[in-house]
Amino acid sequence: MKKELEAIQAAALEALKDVKTADVLESLRIEYFGRRGKLTDVMKGMGQLSKEERPLIGKLANEVRASLTEAFEETKNALESKQQEQQLNTEAVDITLPGRKPAYGKAHPVMQTLERIDAIFTQMGFQVVTGPEVETEHYNFDALNTPSDHPARDLHDTFYLTDGNLLRTHTSPVQIRAMENQKPPLRIIVPGKAYRVDYDVSHTPMFHQVEGLLVDRHVTFSELKGVLVSFARQMFGDQTQMRFRPHFFPFTEPSAEADISCTVCRGKGCRSCGHTGWIEILGAGAVDPEVFRAVNYDPEEVTGFAFGMGVERIANLQFRIPDIRTFYENDLRFLQQF
Amino acid sequence: MNVTLNWLKNYIDFDFSAHDLADRLTMLGIEVESVKELGAALQGVVVGKVNSIRPHPNADKLVLCQVDIGGQDALQIVCGAPNVCEGMFAPVATIGAELPSGITIKQAKLRGEESHGMLCSEKELGISDDAAGLMELSSDISVGTPLAEALGLEDTVFELEITPNRPDCLSMIGVAREIRAETGNELKLPEVNIHENDTDITEATSVTIDAPDLCPRYAARVIRGVKIGESPAWLKQRLESVGIGIINNIVDATNFVLMEYGQPLHAFDYHKLGENRIVVRRAAEGEQITTLDEEERKLTPDMLVIADANKPVALAGVMGGYDSEITETTSDVLLESANFQPASIRATAKKLGMHTEASYRFERGADPEAVIPALDRATQLIVELAGGTVCEGTIDVYPGKSELLKIQLRPDRVNFILGTSLEAAEIEQILYRLGFGIETSQSEDSSYQVTVPTFRGDITREIDLIEEIARVHGYDNIPTTLPKGDIPVPVPDISVEVRKRIKQFLLGSGMMEAVNYSFNHPNCFDKVRLAADNPLRDALRLRNPLSPEMSILRTTLLPSLLDNAQHNHNHQINNIALFEMSSVFMRGEEPGRVAGILAGEIGGGVYGNPYKNPDFFDIKGIVERLLEVCCITDYAFQKTEEPTFHPGRNAAVSFGNTLIGIFGEAHPEVLENYELPYKAYLFELDLEALADAADFSKRFEPIPIYPSVQRDLAIVVDFGMQSDTPIEIIYATGGDLVKSVRLFDVYVGDQVSEGKKSLAYTITYHSATETLTDKAVNDLHDKVVNRLGKELGAELRM
Ligand SMILES: [Zn+2]
Repeated sequence: MKKELEAIQAAALEALKDVKTADVLESLRIEYFGRRGKLTDVMKGMGQLSKEERPLIGKLANEVRASLTEAFEETKNALESKQQEQQLNTEAVDITLPGRKPAYGKAHPVMQTLERIDAIFTQMGFQVVTGPEVETEHYNFDALNTPSDHPARDLHDTFYLTDGNLLRTHTSPVQIRAMENQKPPLRIIVPGKAYRVDYDVSHTPMFHQVEGLLVDRHVTFSELKGVLVSFARQMFGDQTQMRFRPHFFPFTEPSAEADISCTVCRGKGCRSCGHTGWIEILGAGAVDPEVFRAVNYDPEEVTGFAFGMGVERIANLQFRIPDIRTFYENDLRFLQQF
Repeated sequence: MNVTLNWLKNYIDFDFSAHDLADRLTMLGIEVESVKELGAALQGVVVGKVNSIRPHPNADKLVLCQVDIGGQDALQIVCGAPNVCEGMFAPVATIGAELPSGITIKQAKLRGEESHGMLCSEKELGISDDAAGLMELSSDISVGTPLAEALGLEDTVFELEITPNRPDCLSMIGVAREIRAETGNELKLPEVNIHENDTDITEATSVTIDAPDLCPRYAARVIRGVKIGESPAWLKQRLESVGIGIINNIVDATNFVLMEYGQPLHAFDYHKLGENRIVVRRAAEGEQITTLDEEERKLTPDMLVIADANKPVALAGVMGGYDSEITETTSDVLLESANFQPASIRATAKKLGMHTEASYRFERGADPEAVIPALDRATQLIVELAGGTVCEGTIDVYPGKSELLKIQLRPDRVNFILGTSLEAAEIEQILYRLGFGIETSQSEDSSYQVTVPTFRGDITREIDLIEEIARVHGYDNIPTTLPKGDIPVPVPDISVEVRKRIKQFLLGSGMMEAVNYSFNHPNCFDKVRLAADNPLRDALRLRNPLSPEMSILRTTLLPSLLDNAQHNHNHQINNIALFEMSSVFMRGEEPGRVAGILAGEIGGGVYGNPYKNPDFFDIKGIVERLLEVCCITDYAFQKTEEPTFHPGRNAAVSFGNTLIGIFGEAHPEVLENYELPYKAYLFELDLEALADAADFSKRFEPIPIYPSVQRDLAIVVDFGMQSDTPIEIIYATGGDLVKSVRLFDVYVGDQVSEGKKSLAYTITYHSATETLTDKAVNDLHDKVVNRLGKELGAELRM
């Protein structure tokens, strides 16, 4: 009987080697383990064994059964993984076929720049405020210390409306409106559109400005420099150098223009910066006492500074578009680039 | 304005390089826009001496010259000029020189003879039009000297941008004063000596000022017996170097002094002045004058003129008159040096569209104290250049003479404003170098009394002095610090949040952001078929538009977006999905709008994500989602009759009684007007209305504990029935137990009879308090079906 068991084991293991499909494996399992199976048959003969033989043969029979069960299991697993492998092979895709990209639009490049500028100043505690684009002479000029016979008005080619109002030539009128509505301290930025009669490769009749204003009991010119240097480093990189040159604006005194080290040549001098190493980016200054008087602030009680920058100009430091009128054609081949 | 390095050095000593000077002026607030080397065009051209000449063996008209240019050997140069002779000094363009005419000199053989350079005429060097022969040079110049140096042409020209507050810098002496502030070196003003050797001027002329409010000062001299002619080379060269045209010795002298002192002068032909006298007055109604440019000008009584006894002879401070100008026959000259009120000159110049060197200075404010020094300087020059005798004395009518302005300056205030810690001595030194007078006042705050020189009319307040101190101290030397004050608490603004969310959503939905001009063409309202009485047609108009396309302010964003679609279609780009957020312009208000357009093809246009043509439900879906993004749920849609849209494919969105906006398919005629060959879908919503309706006050809603049950329902109804009519009945029947109703199919075709359609819904039943049993759901569903049948005649479709 022992021999019989050993023969069955050997035969079964031999048979398993040739099994290629799950069906064959199942019929083989029935051949050995089924109700009429070979192993089952042998076990049925256990009753005829002697008392002494029974435990020995029983042990052997269990061992054979266990080892065959395991062998069947292994074969089954091997077949299954092979089958899965085949399945996966048939499912392979051409990974170079196009992905199904979810639709995604892009913000206008000038708006992207404007939003970056806003974010930098907002994080420095400036609040965004806006104001009307159709303005009066009073808010656009007179309250900003630019009376009608002032030569500084020549710097602004103004669009007038037939109703006597005008399109603001800068976002500065919002300074006046904000100061009229609020008591100091004030820390605001004013992003928005402004208009001047100008139309060439570097000028569009509508453009965007960001104006800033800080008014408090004691604001110094050195703080103006600090805020703008901090802005320039965040906007143009922490290696950016900034210089302040005296300039003239009717509504600030002292007034300055600020340059950053050229973003192309890093200050060495190139065509972009007219070989000076510097690029002008904004105008600024301490708020002129006359402006404070126009809004009933006492210039002995408060001081402040204001600054203003052209967004297209700053955007174009990065994008380098030869004709900035391209910004407002809304050509999709253009908009998709940013 | 232009200045040159050499010219400036006549008035102050400094040893900055051109580059350094440009830098320092820029940092003083006089921006140097360009720096140009004069004489650069003559590089490689040197002075040569023709040692000997022999005939050219192969050409009759050419000769072979041996020319000494200071090197070891003389050069052989072939020459054809008629005036070439032995011993002559002439310019030699050496090998490699690039002449202004564009010729580059190369070693060459001319008719078989070597030529190592070129002997030049004035024309070939761009010096004059004289091409008759070689330019003859003086024999006392050493050979080999660069020609530019020999002719004194080497100089550096700076183009300056002078801000409107600094008319005092519109002259050489003015710029020299700024260099004085920088270096502390004293000015070297021209020394003027006039030999007055003719009769007393009061016998020759008189000056009457009838408008002292517009003419604070008028001075004159008379010079007799001048000889009008060409100016000497040094004067022509000075004027040309700063871009001033050459006229004759008298006018050139006045222009030289204009550039030197910044004081405009005018020379009259004395004998052309009626009664030989001057009256400064307002023009009379109907008066006219022909100005130097030979234009006839109509004058109005607000204009100041210089007149003789009878008629205007000059437009004060702007331009002289043609009839009294200096001509070749002029012998006696009346020289004017005056000061005029800026606003009046500005108004006149603007009205007549005349912008001259004189008006440019007077309208910004000239120095009344420069009147006499400039007059004397010009008189001296005229006598030097044109001869003549000077009448004794000067006429100087000065009704506007005023006390010098004194300003109190607190040194503490300087540091308070600038954030500096300047010492008193530094402040005093800066003010002194700028020409201010300083006295320490008796008051206890140790403040100064600062006297302002007359050339600094822009300085009227303490803050102006503080700027001067900052400027000369150097902005770069002011510390850089961060604000110390408290950060004000911002006021929350829901409209900012609404805009931000909408923009994020629209970008996320695949639309590109457009930004358009606020301008439009008045015909845009016709192009989008606005009704004749539509208030949007009442647009603000520009008085001075750039073009008709930019002559009104837009009241709606849709025409701009349609323009963009047309532009893109014209460039073969047809996947148009654009939006814009902007203000529009109504009378007295500027409401915000968000608008969008879908047209052509949307989708990826690739295998697996093909292009598709957008339809009404794409634009509707965008609007619905946009409302959701603003947390607006209680909105309603209603068809409109807006002519911009397809009458059957548009809807207005409203929230309560407020209209939020409109969307739909553009009317075929609108498409035609914008030359679009495909349908376009538009929306335009009011951002203020959206902000008013938006509600971001979210609160947690419990996640359902009990399971929900779904039942599908397909019913056949009349074709014309709106799909939301059954939904209303389902909700009304099921009450709280109906959680949602979703239309998932609409069918028209063989399976239903004519004039009918099938609508299929998924209804989700749910109770917040218990698990619904099958029976409860079935009963409720049956009730729904019954009621749909009874009220809508809907048949259940199996
Ligand atoms: Zn550069």
